Amino acid sequence: MPVDIYWRIGTHGDQPSLRRRTPTRGDWAPLAPGNLAPGVRDDYSYLEHMADVARAGEGAGFAGGLLPSFPNTDDPWATAASLGRETSTYRFMIAFQPGFLHPVQAARMTATLQRATGGRVVYNVISGGGGPDQLWWGDKVGHDDRYARTSEFLDVLRGVWGGAPYSFDGRFYRVEGARLPEPLRGQPFPEIYFSGSSPAAIEAAGRHADYYLSWLEPFHALEEKFARVRERSLTPPKFAVRIDVLARESEREAWAEIEQGWDNIDPSVLRGATGDSIGWQRSQSFVTGPVSGHRDLEVTPNVWGGFHLLRGGPAFGLVGSYAQVAARLDELIALGVGAFILAGVPHLEEAYRVGENVLPLVKGIS
Amino acid sequence: MAEFFITLPSKGQRRGGDHLLQVGRAAELAGYTGAYAPFDPEGEESLVIAAGLLRQTRYLRLLAGFHPGIATPVYAAKVAASLQRFSGDRLDWRIDVDLEPAVARAHGDFTEGADRYARAEEFLTIAKGVWHQRDYTHEGRHYQVLSGGFAAPLSGRAFPRVHLSGTSPEALALSLRHADVHVFDHGDDLSLTAELPGLAYGLRLAVHARETEKEAARDGFDGLAGSYESIARRLRDYIDQGVEVFYLEATPYLEETYRLGEHLLPLLAREDVHAG
Repeated sequence: MPVDIYWRIGTHGDQPSLRRRTPTRGDWAPLAPGNLAPGVRDDYSYLEHMADVARAGEGAGFAGGLLPSFPNTDDPWATAASLGRETSTYRFMIAFQPGFLHPVQAARMTATLQRATGGRVVYNVISGGGGPDQLWWGDKVGHDDRYARTSEFLDVLRGVWGGAPYSFDGRFYRVEGARLPEPLRGQPFPEIYFSGSSPAAIEAAGRHADYYLSWLEPFHALEEKFARVRERSLTPPKFAVRIDVLARESEREAWAEIEQGWDNIDPSVLRGATGDSIGWQRSQSFVTGPVSGHRDLEVTPNVWGGFHLLRGGPAFGLVGSYAQVAARLDELIALGVGAFILAGVPHLEEAYRVGENVLPLVKGIS
Repeated sequence: MAEFFITLPSKGQRRGGDHLLQVGRAAELAGYTGAYAPFDPEGEESLVIAAGLLRQTRYLRLLAGFHPGIATPVYAAKVAASLQRFSGDRLDWRIDVDLEPAVARAHGDFTEGADRYARAEEFLTIAKGVWHQRDYTHEGRHYQVLSGGFAAPLSGRAFPRVHLSGTSPEALALSLRHADVHVFDHGDDLSLTAELPGLAYGLRLAVHARETEKEAARDGFDGLAGSYESIARRLRDYIDQGVEVFYLEATPYLEETYRLGEHLLPLLAREDVHAG
């Protein structure tokens, strides 16, 4: 079965390497010498750079790109709707939290965008990490209820997708006689990548997900997680993993790059994040024993749990030679993984590097 | 100088290809201030349309119509912040508060009567609050935000110009607090502008303009039909009554966008309009 491989687009600027956490792309950091695409000349904006990353992803053989959504990022809907015409096969994986958009509006936006792009919209449905960010967005709904709301949201979205009048009266949403209008009907319903590690998330994923999406974890932990999702699903979803990749010609070069980043870590970033995300708590539990050097976070070969210290985002990723990283991806495919969302900084150049050097070595892609 | 927006087709692009893009480009070439993507329950979604056209044009403003039930005000503002960043602040908001009850319910909105204006008030208050302030908290009846507000570089852009309409006391009160432009329909009593000091006034008009009165004659047309000169005179009358923004609608969209740009707008433009 073909495996879809996506590449991430940074909707919050970019950094030139993992060696230091100095953002130099876009206007997400104070303007400094060497800062590219700052958005101050001729009304050119950071969008121009995101367009370049999308074109690079398409050129390097990726199926599409994930557009993440956090309080301080550009918005994925706005970005996808702006860039739709600038690629031809590239799929836009739009991250969004169901609570913030009404499902009828989401259906209308999606169908309009499907028309404009020839059906290249993919959903990354996230139900929120909790904590202060959730309140920043204006969302007070608690953890388990957010998944119940996500479930209702997707029920309503599917309900109105057809042409027949649809009514629904739930805990979070109520509609009467809703339907997509004639010009918007008949578009393909987007594939749903569904994130969340808690029992409530897995329950909801079992009902709605095409792909159950997890951050990378040590493979045995992923295997157990997938088994739990399979158990709880009437129709088990496919599996997808979001992975940061640091791949070089040789293993030695790859680790040398990590080591340079490690030596520059600001001790304050070692303090953990907040929120009620189970995924985050899980990732913290895999590292046991004292950490005195960067290789102490390599919990299994090439699976390194320190990426969050070198850039924003999840902890685990793959570090190694092109061949090693490709072999690990093949192992994941053997565990049942049907799609990857890969990422690396800087996103533009690394899209080409990974597309040209790693993907051709992955045997299980097609 | 009056502003002219041309209304975009919303009921699908029956001509196929990328007809909407052609109309948007025509509007830019023809020198309109902007293009209006209305909230049309039977048509395409306006924010997605606006985003695509903002990217494909350089100067054209895009006025996107929507109702306050589509999203939380924080999310609507966040989408707008990105679009302002991408476009150099060319997005306007047309907020439709007074939906047909059946249309509202089909869009998940069961708020009724004057309460709709109270909700719209809260929507705009919070959208502007998170746009302009840090550590912004608002506990409202419909929405809440705790310690919200956009950080750089999402902050600091121009908030979308807000176009509102309605003739009820609630509608006028909402416009006074939040509108940049109060929009009248053809036939509305323009003396209401006296109750809306400090705002710009807009007018929606369907137009059917031709070389001669005779060619332009149409039975039962709800708008202005006539020669280019006579329509220009009527628009000048409106300008004299204080109207500064016109939302013109004419079909077929592409051809009429060119036609009005070639024959009508020059009659209303100052001499320097093409020099700018």
